[in-house]
Amino acid sequence: MDSTKLKQEIQERRRQAQSAPSESMPVEHNMAELRKLQPRYRGLEAGHRACQGCGEALAARLVTEAAGPDVILTNATGCLEVFTTPWPQSAWRLPWIHSLFENSAAIASGVEAALKAQGRKTKVIAQGGDGGTFDIGFQALSGMLERQHNILYVCYDNEAYMNTGIQRSGSTPHAAMTTTSPPGKERMGKRHLKKDLLSIIAAHHIPYAASASVAYPADIRRKVRRAVSIEGPTFLLIHSPCPLGWGIDSEISIEVARLAVQTGLFPVVELERGELTGVMPIRHPRPVADYLKLQNRFKHLFTDDPRAREEREHLQALADHNIEIYQLKGDGMDALDTDGADTVRRGGMVD
Amino acid sequence: MKQLSRGAFALPGTSLDFKTGTWRNEMPVHNHFGAPCHVACPAGEDAQAYIAKLMEGHEKEAWEILVSANPLPATTARVCPHFCEQACNRKHMDQPIAIHLIERYLGDEAIKHNWAYPLDAKKSDGEPVCVVGAGPAGLSAAYHLRRLGHPVTLIDALPEPGGLLRTAIPVTRLPRDVLDAEIGRLLKLGITFKPRTALGRDVRLEDLLAQHAYVFLAPGAAKSRHWSVDGAVPGDLREGLGLLKEWLIVGDIPKPKSVAIHGGGNTAVDLARVMKRAGVAEVHVITASGLPGPDADPKDVLNVVPREFDQAVEEGIVFHAHRTIQRLLMRGSKLVGLEMVHLKKLPGAGGRSSRVAFEGTETVLHVEMVVPAIGEVVDGTGFESLLGQADYFRADPLGQITASDRVLVGGDARGDRGTVTAAIGDGRLAAATIHAKLTGEALPDPKRRPFIGYDKLNVNYFEPSPRAEEAMLPVGKRTDTDEIEGGLTRAQVTHEIGRCFSCGNCLACDNCWTLCPDNAVIKTQERAKDGSHYVFDYEYCKGCGLCAHECPSGYIIMTPD
Amino acid sequence: MLHALEGSQAIAQAVALCRPGVVAAYPITPQTHIVENISKLVADGKLKCEFVSVESEFSAASVVLGASAAGSRSYTASSSQGILLMAEVLFDIAGMRLPVVMTCANRAISAPINIWNDHQDSMTVRDSGWIQLHCADNQEAIDTSIQAFRIAERTELPVMVCMDGFVLTHTLEVVDMPSAEQVDSYLPPFTFKNKLDPKHPLSLGTLVGPEYYTEARYSLHRALEKALPEIEAADADWAKICGRAAGGLLTVEGPENATTAVLAMGSVVSTLTESNEMLPGNKRVKIIKLRSFRPFPIEALQMACQGLKELIVLERAFSPGLGGILGTEVRAALAGMQKPPQVRNFTVGLGGRDIPMSTLSKLINAAKAQAPGGFAILDVEPERLPPEDR
Repeated sequence: MDSTKLKQEIQERRRQAQSAPSESMPVEHNMAELRKLQPRYRGLEAGHRACQGCGEALAARLVTEAAGPDVILTNATGCLEVFTTPWPQSAWRLPWIHSLFENSAAIASGVEAALKAQGRKTKVIAQGGDGGTFDIGFQALSGMLERQHNILYVCYDNEAYMNTGIQRSGSTPHAAMTTTSPPGKERMGKRHLKKDLLSIIAAHHIPYAASASVAYPADIRRKVRRAVSIEGPTFLLIHSPCPLGWGIDSEISIEVARLAVQTGLFPVVELERGELTGVMPIRHPRPVADYLKLQNRFKHLFTDDPRAREEREHLQALADHNIEIYQLKGDGMDALDTDGADTVRRGGMVD
Repeated sequence: MKQLSRGAFALPGTSLDFKTGTWRNEMPVHNHFGAPCHVACPAGEDAQAYIAKLMEGHEKEAWEILVSANPLPATTARVCPHFCEQACNRKHMDQPIAIHLIERYLGDEAIKHNWAYPLDAKKSDGEPVCVVGAGPAGLSAAYHLRRLGHPVTLIDALPEPGGLLRTAIPVTRLPRDVLDAEIGRLLKLGITFKPRTALGRDVRLEDLLAQHAYVFLAPGAAKSRHWSVDGAVPGDLREGLGLLKEWLIVGDIPKPKSVAIHGGGNTAVDLARVMKRAGVAEVHVITASGLPGPDADPKDVLNVVPREFDQAVEEGIVFHAHRTIQRLLMRGSKLVGLEMVHLKKLPGAGGRSSRVAFEGTETVLHVEMVVPAIGEVVDGTGFESLLGQADYFRADPLGQITASDRVLVGGDARGDRGTVTAAIGDGRLAAATIHAKLTGEALPDPKRRPFIGYDKLNVNYFEPSPRAEEAMLPVGKRTDTDEIEGGLTRAQVTHEIGRCFSCGNCLACDNCWTLCPDNAVIKTQERAKDGSHYVFDYEYCKGCGLCAHECPSGYIIMTPD
Repeated sequence: MLHALEGSQAIAQAVALCRPGVVAAYPITPQTHIVENISKLVADGKLKCEFVSVESEFSAASVVLGASAAGSRSYTASSSQGILLMAEVLFDIAGMRLPVVMTCANRAISAPINIWNDHQDSMTVRDSGWIQLHCADNQEAIDTSIQAFRIAERTELPVMVCMDGFVLTHTLEVVDMPSAEQVDSYLPPFTFKNKLDPKHPLSLGTLVGPEYYTEARYSLHRALEKALPEIEAADADWAKICGRAAGGLLTVEGPENATTAVLAMGSVVSTLTESNEMLPGNKRVKIIKLRSFRPFPIEALQMACQGLKELIVLERAFSPGLGGILGTEVRAALAGMQKPPQVRNFTVGLGGRDIPMSTLSKLINAAKAQAPGGFAILDVEPERLPPEDR
């Protein structure tokens, strides 16, 4: 079918749908009613103002779906806070509180202490971006973990300060371009490495710390449920692409997230009491270039500049290192590896 | 005027007041592209649809979907070359879905449980139609006409219905109890079947036209094509289809030391295998076509069910591809050998292709017998006025011919068909056409829909999975009576349907619903109007395209808003 | 019941009587004993509350913010650098209208580092939207701490109880500690209607754009203005229970007919009052003890200043490059009077410098020499300054 005809057909279909009188409208078109009947918990509602293809919005939706409804959320300042709660609107259906950039873990500590004082069993989930977690909110987070609060802290890691204009953070990967790590005559993007936050978190000897990716929703759901069921501090780092900040088209943010895992650049692992207890094995490790070349933030690594080649090799070596230290290389088919974990089945995902 | 709340708190879910759908440049829509298996099936079977139904555990309903296009699935499952599997996108990942075995499973289950066709056998409010020829095209037309409520008279020259299914296909491929069960069930649908009734001998076309609103002509191609090599023929020449029919009825077959069968169709291969099994030491097949294989041009391969070819090779048949017979070596009228030469169909001047033999490639094959199996033409007895001097009918895709507006033609009589499945498709389209003409409805659209290619799927979401292997008689145990292929067990069928990509159609996998960052994909309890389980909430959809990109089956496309 | 208690211990006991659900604190230098005493009460099982030993003052403020939002009566204490580190959170607590109570054991701020008493810390956060009540002695601090919870919870505004570090917090005083019954009859259990609750899931701490931000900030201003009668009523009701008031918005002492008054906040008022009583009768001045610095009681102050010719404002902080803070505010507050007194402004006792009994006489004399609108640091020793800064 040629595209003109297809377009006409689709327009016709839409017109029919719109012109049908509301009384005779089949149930599938009464969106407000259907929305209420969704067979999943809705923690984060539609109408929020995240950019198209936002990985963080998706991750937050998945986390709240898996955790809700007996949950109180705290939120660091950042995209998630801004796009969900422009007064008088809120996209949250869970009790939610935002205070400052650096205190999500601390207000969560306060909420949790209050719940304990009142004998309430509600779970507290603290949320923050990578800036609010790796950098400015790190101290409060460390305190929260050390004091053994019964809180799940979720960091949505999009690897830079996106809300303020894509400045580099402690989480920005090596060689990535941001507005404060631009490539130029003297530099090839960020000079330093991505902070190994998960190891630092795990060193607090907490019961559970894990990483996950928006490309693997079933894995996120499983980890959230696991973390929430544990009495004590738990931590989840979710790799969440930012189409704007990474320079990718909105429709490929899942694909890019998947590649981050499949290359080994973002290891998906679980640590309990500081010990590695689980990994998502990589069935077929992909070259890092497959991941990098899709993103504008690594564009400068694909030029004739000899330094570009060097940095690409550097990133490949970092990925190889991850694969080695976490023993990520899979051996054969595995329902929970990078290929098996997102396999679909007719009638819905099984997790 | 909105008033501030103390401390500027907000109420839950109030973001719904903000319609982010206005941000959208492109919108996702469901688009049911044709699945390759469906589009490729000449009978119009929607394999994807019955696989989906089977996946839900509804075997009978799956069969009902199947027989809504093809009333003889247990038969076609055994004899069709399976265009569906040749087209299946799964071949790009590992191997195509064994669709024909799923079809066979359903067909056999229906026979086993005596499932009734999903139609009212008593309904007879239409106009009477006569179907001439009880082969696959005629049976299909009669069936579909009954579905549409028309009284049907089916006539055939032979004592039993089935046409070439009965007369030309070895029972090792198609056991007669299967054929009898399917045809028997079909004829019970209120069809008046008149065997031993030959057009031109027992009835006249004019009488049929006087008694019926329409006549569907499906006489097949029963007359062997004239064959000679530069005018020479051995004195004891027998043609292939005749030998096969004789073997099927009488059980006798010539047993020379060596034979060359000339032709590239099922008749040639079936005969070759029968003769080999009968004890002929050397059986050669000489064909102008190429052999099936991964790199073969589908337009240039043997018109044979691929696995039949494989079995023939297994059994020791020697194929000479891209060859023709250039000269017969005779001692008197007795054949002692033949000279083959390489040839190929090449595009020539004027856009028409022609077969070019290559000088210097001649080889001699010493054989005692040569059997032509180069196809058959229509025997025009009884309808000479419609056929004229032609070998075949020339009809439009719906089966309409210029010589009469009340006679439609289908099956092998068309000359451009060549498979049972195509004949069944002809019968279905002709029935629909007759019905449309009688009721004044729009004629069916015979055009094939576009189908979705492998590149439009997101195969990250599928796992490699080997194709189920059916049980098969080993070469040494093959006889003239036992079916060679054994079909799949239910467990194997379950495995196999799980391999379906559901190309271009909703899998109900929840990916769009799970991955929409904006909660703008809504899952429906009931099936949505478009057959999926999801609807887009365009009030909130920002048009990011994630759902379309991550749809495993390519069912969602982005289109300018 | 009368007890001889150190100030910090007294406050700890008073706060415990208010049954807080969550207490959070950090021992930043300089710290007070208040939270140590509270943690001892918790450890001994005398106080049922969640005591959170946080990793910074910043988190201390954040914890009580979260705890208050989650519906628990919440308390913290700090001083000096701690207050400054909390500053960002303090603004947030007030803007979110969370009824947190904290004690500020007033002390100097760096640099140079100095752990002793003045009011520069709480002055720095005077615009945070907190109610700030200053106490002249430990009894007032006890009574004000109890009242603070009632004021906070009725107005949904945070209250900072300011008491002079060392001078009050580390001093043993005989105080009357109210009974649990008295406090319970005065202070109902805490309920916060906007608390975080999955059954009524509100979103707190939203983003407010230009079209409503002005109103959001103005409503905080109005709430503080409307807190003035609540502060007075809280004190009056407390007085009905224990027969003792803590000073309302402000109090005036001294001869009715005096035309000069000295206005001050905190423990220095006790020194001034004592010195005043030692002056000859005709030399005595009025002493105005300002208790409510925020909200600033403009009307009450104008009433108190009726008939005055001269008002000397003595304060424990100043704004470098401007002069007195309290003095500047008093001048502005009195500008609307028909016959406002001349306002003289002095800062004294920075960083723990002793304020002797002689200060009052010195002050009255210095005031005569001060030009209208002037400001001076009363006890500065010019010869100690580096020559270039004299």
